[in-house]
Amino acid sequence: MVYDSIANASIPTAASNSKDFGKKKRVNRTAKLKQSKLDVRREQWLSQVKNRGFKEETKATRVTKMAAPETHAATEREHSIVKLEISVGGEENESLMNNYSDSESPSNSPTSHTSSVSESNISVTNFTGSSSRSSCGSSSSSGDCCSGSMTDEEDDEDDGCLDDWEAIADALAAADDIQKSPVDEHPLTPPEPEQPVLTPAGSTNFRAWRPDDVSRPQSLPNLVKQNSFPMKSGSSAFPSSCPICCEDLDMTDSSFLPCPCGYRLCLFCHKRILEDNGRCPGCRKQYESHGNAASSKLGRCHSMNPSCH
Amino acid sequence: MQASRARLFKEYKEVQREKVADPDIQLVCDDSNIFKWTALIKGPSETPYEGGVFQLAFSVPEQYPLQPPQVRFLTKIFHPNVHFKTGEICLDILKNAWSPAWTLQSVCRAIIALMAHPEPDSPLNCDSGNLLRSGDVRGFQSMAKMYTRLAAMPKKG
Repeated sequence: MVYDSIANASIPTAASNSKDFGKKKRVNRTAKLKQSKLDVRREQWLSQVKNRGFKEETKATRVTKMAAPETHAATEREHSIVKLEISVGGEENESLMNNYSDSESPSNSPTSHTSSVSESNISVTNFTGSSSRSSCGSSSSSGDCCSGSMTDEEDDEDDGCLDDWEAIADALAAADDIQKSPVDEHPLTPPEPEQPVLTPAGSTNFRAWRPDDVSRPQSLPNLVKQNSFPMKSGSSAFPSSCPICCEDLDMTDSSFLPCPCGYRLCLFCHKRILEDNGRCPGCRKQYESHGNAASSKLGRCHSMNPSCH
Repeated sequence: MQASRARLFKEYKEVQREKVADPDIQLVCDDSNIFKWTALIKGPSETPYEGGVFQLAFSVPEQYPLQPPQVRFLTKIFHPNVHFKTGEICLDILKNAWSPAWTLQSVCRAIIALMAHPEPDSPLNCDSGNLLRSGDVRGFQSMAKMYTRLAAMPKKG
């Protein structure tokens, strides 16, 4: 649920970005086309954040520098939205990383999960707060619109996201119409930040996410976490050492089930019991029904693994 | 040999951990020999052995746990299945019904259960067995209570 809200909150910024750069104003695009494009864009900035260490700083300083002069307000808006998106993306990625490290922590208790949830909630609110602040600083009208729709997004969680995209697209289109001429005065500025966006996307798009990847989308299921639960219960369900001789059970011993009662023991003790009275320690029934198969298996084990002796 | 040592060491650690869990059994290992153990067990309530503390001696064979430990009463006890002079115990799990899954702790529990439920049809103490088999429960109980008071209770004064 919270991951969804993060993802949804991130998409509008990507929408504004693509909307600004694609200067063909086809407002009546279908939602499907939009979504696919936005997904690609989202992948791009997710993978881009790997280099954010220096990039974010430079962008941030450029934002502050460019916010100062009043004459190029429109281009500032363009830039600041781009930079804002990048810096916000970085900030959000930090929260993603925090979430990830939380989910990776050895204690898989539900409390740690809730803590990560609350943390991500906080980071989301921070995200909207900072974006509204900085966008207010750069340009009033479109910035407010942006932040307003973002908070709406957060409230609607996941269902209303498509509608909100439409709303943002409309709002941005209106804003672009108003400030169309200054954008055209600087046709080269927008592609400039876009190029580093595109190159990592080409390299990263086709490889699988590693579970420890920093830029791994949080929406992907955490397989490590899922696997850890059955593994844990499995290890506790079976004894790790033979109850008779207290030696550790190896792979062969662990798969060795001599009696239908389920009493497990190592092959060495089983052999000694067969030589003695041949009764299962757990249920006292004779092993004889499985005796032949067990002894042949036993012989093979002993020939393979002399350390049993 | 090594297997029995490892097993007894594990049981020793288990006993240290469960000391609080079973207040009726106090199982201690000999300081120098892990194959010699002694146990103090409380006589079960609502029996003539109530209030007494009985000492058991364990002698663990090297084939343990495939072979059962040898257990006998060091404290005199008037019981159909305990030899009055040697303290030998007639209990199936210490003979043919032994299972390697049993531990010294579970043997102590079995002996407590045997004290509460004597089996007069296979007696080691014939006097005690005969009293019960003839239906003289009161006679058996008074004898058992007397020996408990004589042998298993702290001396007064």
